[in-house]
Amino acid sequence: MLTARTIDPATPMKVALMSCAHTHAVGYAGLLEARADVDLVVADPDGYGDVRGVRVVPSYAAAWDAWPEGPDAIVVTSANAHHKDLVLEAARRGVHVLCEKPLATNLPDAEAMVEACREAGVVLMTAFPVHFAPEVEALRTALTDGTLGEVIGLTGTNNGKLPAGRDWFTDVELAGGGAMVDHTVHIAEILDSVFGPPATVHAVTNRILYAERAGEGAETGGLVTLTYDSGLVATIDCSWSQPADAPTWGGLRLQALGTGGQLQIDAFAQHVGGHGQWLPYGTNTDALLLDAFLDAVRAGEAVDPTGEVGLRTVAVVAAAQESVRTGQPVAIAGA
Amino acid sequence: MTTTAHADPPRVGIVGTGGISRAHLPGWTELGAELHCYSLTGAEEFAAESGATTHDSLDSLLAAVDVVDVCTPTPAHPEIVRAALDAGKDVVCEKPLALTAEESRDLAEHAERAGRRLFPAHVVRFFPQYAAAKRAIDTGAVVGELAVLRFERTGSLPDRSWYADEELSGGIVMDQMIHDIDQALWMAGPVQKVYAQQAIASSDSTVRTAHVVLTHRSGAISHCRGFWGPVGTKFRYTFDLAGDGGHLQYDSAGDPGIVFDDVASARQSSGDGFLPDVSTLRDPYAAEIVEFATALRAGAPTRVDAADGVLAVEVSRAALESLRTGRSIAC
Repeated sequence: MLTARTIDPATPMKVALMSCAHTHAVGYAGLLEARADVDLVVADPDGYGDVRGVRVVPSYAAAWDAWPEGPDAIVVTSANAHHKDLVLEAARRGVHVLCEKPLATNLPDAEAMVEACREAGVVLMTAFPVHFAPEVEALRTALTDGTLGEVIGLTGTNNGKLPAGRDWFTDVELAGGGAMVDHTVHIAEILDSVFGPPATVHAVTNRILYAERAGEGAETGGLVTLTYDSGLVATIDCSWSQPADAPTWGGLRLQALGTGGQLQIDAFAQHVGGHGQWLPYGTNTDALLLDAFLDAVRAGEAVDPTGEVGLRTVAVVAAAQESVRTGQPVAIAGA
Repeated sequence: MTTTAHADPPRVGIVGTGGISRAHLPGWTELGAELHCYSLTGAEEFAAESGATTHDSLDSLLAAVDVVDVCTPTPAHPEIVRAALDAGKDVVCEKPLALTAEESRDLAEHAERAGRRLFPAHVVRFFPQYAAAKRAIDTGAVVGELAVLRFERTGSLPDRSWYADEELSGGIVMDQMIHDIDQALWMAGPVQKVYAQQAIASSDSTVRTAHVVLTHRSGAISHCRGFWGPVGTKFRYTFDLAGDGGHLQYDSAGDPGIVFDDVASARQSSGDGFLPDVSTLRDPYAAEIVEFATALRAGAPTRVDAADGVLAVEVSRAALESLRTGRSIAC
């Protein structure tokens, strides 16, 4: 086994973006290509063709071989079910990884990915851009510095349209599920970063919204309720409930309730509106995520959001899916 | 539907003259009702404010009125409602009808047997925002099939000691959240299962929150979130209704028809934190009383009836059972 790559700070970091299946690939590619400290190659094995103006190769093999010594790091933006093979291959090659969320479509895969990267000594981080939103940072601060007193409840909404243009998002094999897989993990990560893992998870789902367009068996509406040993209760609305003709994709809001009062945040509030208009101007959280990842690779040590938190949020989703099957709350093992 | 040859304006007996009797009073005043009252405490004070005739016993009040409006703490509802029905009176009863599903069902059946009307005062059905949403849902054209509903209600623990006693009030679920449980039932229909969680601050037991998740028989799912916040918490209510044909949202905090700036608002007196400021609305409490009284005269249906009051208690009790057991409860 190779050892993890150490990065020469004097030369651009060799980064391969693996797959254009995820709609975030276009944004990541643009940001990485613009950096002088990154040498980027993009693999587009499915031929989506919408990442342009950069060096695109037609296969993963061509991306691995794009440099004589291979890439220093990869960014995984494949369909969720394909994350595992790419991450395990990166670990085998000693290559650092930023993996799109959800980390995996099931708990054993996520565990194997985290374990392989840990053994290989490579950085593994999970792409939760909203972790870097200043509104989320303000929430974390208020939850931890006592501003809200004793916090007893949270409600989070991460609602969006049915993901468009990429059918795999609603294919339960490739995505791992529907809205509950797509939209629970962002808020689960934020809660994890403050409160750690929940004690129990309860979830209900349906598929009334976008029923004709969603893949077979994919839930499009869901309510996930988490409890914590402290007594705190939190519910996440993960539904794809943003109407198709809305001027923006959706949003993420959190409301925290404590003995010291309430705080609500809207991570996508910063925009100029108007009839049917949505012009965002806020912080580019994708850029902050990539900054954090590239710095972590140079330092040789992952920072939040790590692969481990990615794994813990997959555990929340797996428990939510089990709760839907059994109709009862599910305890998180080892919480 | 029974019609009753009541005096017009009606003669109404208010039983229990605490907080909610003051909310019901303007509706009766608007109707020009002849007011009577009976209460273990505070009857003289209420009479002085309202012009009501005080009675020193329930029997004396029942002999003088056509309609009884039960505004006592919840544990006293069943006995008074039954006595009023037995005396041949129609009854308005503050929500919840009773603390248990069995008692609530018994009261509804008692009214049926007595041939009298029993109106549970679920006032949120008379808030114009909820009524507008309900009308839109019923047309089918605005939201299509309902999928995911969210309701939030925020206030402070009412400033009366019996509310804090879960045995007496049923706690935040039975007292505050029952409004939103009733809304979920009204809009999305009966439920097949209920899951509930509650958190009470260890440092201040008056601060508490509850989350209730309802799975409706239609397949729709609802989240109700109640909060009794710290002293000074402003009353607020929101809903978010997503269907396959559209989306409805309302937030009382985002509804500023009238906005004073910070300087001007610092000079305004603040509200009491648990009853809403409805000054620019048609008073929903008055609308409720007037609809009940009008329905009595005409024998007409009302937007909320005894069966609805029973259902709201049944689902709230299932939520309390879920709190107790940590399990999802079938309804």
